[in-house]
Amino acid sequence: MSALLEVRSVSKFFGGVKANQDVSFSVESGIVLGLIGPNGAGKTTLFNCITGFYPPSRGDVFFEGKRINGLSPDQVCKLGMVRTWQKVRPLAKLTVLDNAVVGALCRTSSVAEAKKIALEQLRVVGLEKRAPALAGGLPIGERKKLELARVLATRPRMILLDEVMGGLNARESEEIIDLILAVKKRGLTQVVIEHDMKAIVRTCDRIVVLNSGEKLAEGSPQQIVNDPRVMTAYLGDSGGAKA
Amino acid sequence: MAVLLQSVLSGVLIGGVYALIGVGLTLIFGVMRVINFAQGELVMVGMYCTFWVFVLLGVDPFLSVVVTMPALFLLGALLQRTLINRVLDALPQNQILLTIGIGLVLSNLAMLAFTSDYRILSTSYSSSSVGLGGIRLSTPLLYCFLITAAITAALYWFLVKTDVGHAIRATAQDRDAAQLMGVNVRHMGVLAFGLGAALAGAAGALVAPTYYIYPQVGSAFTLKAFVVVVLGGMGSIIGATLGGVLIGVAESLSGTYIGSGWKDLCVYAIFLLVLLLKPSGLLGKSRM
Amino acid sequence: MKTLIPLAMAVVVLALIPLWVESPYALHIFILLFIGIALGESWNVVGGFAGQYSVGHSAWYGIGAYGAFILLQKINLAPWFGVWVAVALSVLAALAVGFITFRLRGPYFVLASIAVAEIIRLLALNTKDLTNGAEGILSPDLPPLKLGGAVITDWNSKIPYFYMGLAMALFCIAVNFAVKRSKLGYYLQAIREDQDAAHSLGIPPTLSKNAALAISAACTALVGSFAAFYVGFIEPQQVFGIDVSIQMVLTAIIGGIGTVAGPVLGAVVLVLISEGLRTTIAQAHLLVYGILVIVVILVMPDGFLGFISQRLRRKAAVE
Repeated sequence: MSALLEVRSVSKFFGGVKANQDVSFSVESGIVLGLIGPNGAGKTTLFNCITGFYPPSRGDVFFEGKRINGLSPDQVCKLGMVRTWQKVRPLAKLTVLDNAVVGALCRTSSVAEAKKIALEQLRVVGLEKRAPALAGGLPIGERKKLELARVLATRPRMILLDEVMGGLNARESEEIIDLILAVKKRGLTQVVIEHDMKAIVRTCDRIVVLNSGEKLAEGSPQQIVNDPRVMTAYLGDSGGAKA
Repeated sequence: MAVLLQSVLSGVLIGGVYALIGVGLTLIFGVMRVINFAQGELVMVGMYCTFWVFVLLGVDPFLSVVVTMPALFLLGALLQRTLINRVLDALPQNQILLTIGIGLVLSNLAMLAFTSDYRILSTSYSSSSVGLGGIRLSTPLLYCFLITAAITAALYWFLVKTDVGHAIRATAQDRDAAQLMGVNVRHMGVLAFGLGAALAGAAGALVAPTYYIYPQVGSAFTLKAFVVVVLGGMGSIIGATLGGVLIGVAESLSGTYIGSGWKDLCVYAIFLLVLLLKPSGLLGKSRM
Repeated sequence: MKTLIPLAMAVVVLALIPLWVESPYALHIFILLFIGIALGESWNVVGGFAGQYSVGHSAWYGIGAYGAFILLQKINLAPWFGVWVAVALSVLAALAVGFITFRLRGPYFVLASIAVAEIIRLLALNTKDLTNGAEGILSPDLPPLKLGGAVITDWNSKIPYFYMGLAMALFCIAVNFAVKRSKLGYYLQAIREDQDAAHSLGIPPTLSKNAALAISAACTALVGSFAAFYVGFIEPQQVFGIDVSIQMVLTAIIGGIGTVAGPVLGAVVLVLISEGLRTTIAQAHLLVYGILVIVVILVMPDGFLGFISQRLRRKAAVE
């Protein structure tokens, strides 16, 4: 069985700093993989390596069987893998609709067509009434949803969500969880970086734990939640689970 | 061989001035992350100050520096307080446009006040030179270099040995951390801009005996100062000093060996090369 | 679409002006206005939409000017053909420069653009055999424009320049309009807002920025050649100098950067100021430009139009 995404012994060094060290895992098509770990574990760095913002210092990344090291982010997006940002990045002076249109234009050259796709994704996340508003004026919960709509508009096969629930209240987090599950039903594969353990357990099929740049553990949510090493990794750190 | 040495030494002498302007620029950038496009115009103001002090009061330019510098410091501090301070959080492009606007205002006020006529400040030693071995070095340039070296040394002492100097460097390294430590970062900004302007004014005073003085003379200095700073590394004072000398030498050599019309072109070509190959410069990083 | 009707009416009115207005000075002001509008709109594509503040656009203006002049002078190529060659040259140069400089972000890009224009100016100054250096080139007489066998104009009054200027301004406005609602337009604005986010959404930043620059440089060169023939004389400082670049940036910023109508407003303001001051203090218009830049950046960084639309938005939000 070939995985959709395969990360093989990926390491990333910045000068003397080992941000990622020998990380390996694979993601089968259709699942939700949780990527957890204390702050500074190297999760976002891994996302950046996978999606082409910088190449891994060592190791390989395979998407749909193709080696994608060294491809640029726009090329990775065209192949079908796209990510959201830990610190939300709306295109502030554009409207909510135009934000999504930008994503949709990845697959079509017709602006009219892109608007249709964009509107559809806004409906999925529940933002269609806010279409004419400027993205820069949205509250944080809606910005997160907009980012989700935007990446969905690129018709990806796989999305990487970086702390998409960060800064949200309980109700907003619930909505995001529902969206993740809805997106899963549509057949998209997801890798989710999260700190909220309850959300992780509810949405993820499997979990990979990073600590200090290395893979600490991998397994089902049950296994991970009961793994003493994971507890230590989190409790030994001041940041941590919202559970 | 003598020609080469002559060219290099002349380059070093004028390079000192470029370094002075560049250091002012890099200080402003280091502390406030603002790229001051009016730096050359501040030099121009220094030149005119020196000129009128010389013409009206008969004071030698290398002496009136002690008056020109504080005057330009006040101008710089005023500009920072009233204008620059308001755009510290704006887009860098907008900051540049603001300083370009300031430069336009300064050069055109000068034009209205003094006309575009080229002024020449000639002292008794303006065309004399000093012999060193088989080489002749222009006397005004030599004085200029010596005073530049003194000013740079003083600045360095100030930044490294005094509390205020430490505060400025702290602000440049990490504005928030400095603020948390009790540094008044707003005052540091005013101080930095004032100092940057004072250095530009000093440069203007020092080259007044050697260059034609006219309102538009600033823009060439601004661009060269940027080359110096980018070459040395934005935010690095040592870098700017080094960069200044290097650019002075490069300019002088290309003037001697390629042709005087081409020396500016060589400097800008170096600029593009640095921006492309190593944009952080020789000593780049926001440490001073 | 609803803006199209008043626009069409305005165009018709403008087109009829030479029938009522006889004063060559008044026509001259209009021509300056058209040139200003065209230049502002040209700059807007790369500066307003893509957010790449080039302060070195005089490079393309000058290549357009010198290109067309030299071709007419040396090989007698009529301007209405020579202009296109000059435009092509300008685009090639722009792409070469863009390929190199678009790796730089924000202020570094601004500095590089200024350096490039300076380099080209110095090249023009020093290659005397080609460009006549600082002495400049006096425009050779324009051949009469013929269609079929009939002579349409022999360029002896301001009127043909008026219509050409109007056509050029409209063309540049149309280009702006087309880009804004195209895929490229969306991509450029995304890059402007957040280049990394745009990159992750499938947008190729360097390719997109270069496309914008090519369009912008082509339009600028077109206007440059026209303006050169209108003025009748060119020399390096005049066409490659930083004043031209600053004026283009100002036009777009004052009116409202990134909008299609902004540069029109900006051009009106700048031309009126510069002409208004010409009789009193000749060179002072640059002083007023400087003050205007400062005021706009401090008070309304989105230009007059941005300021107004912000007010309207606030009113709407309150109601």
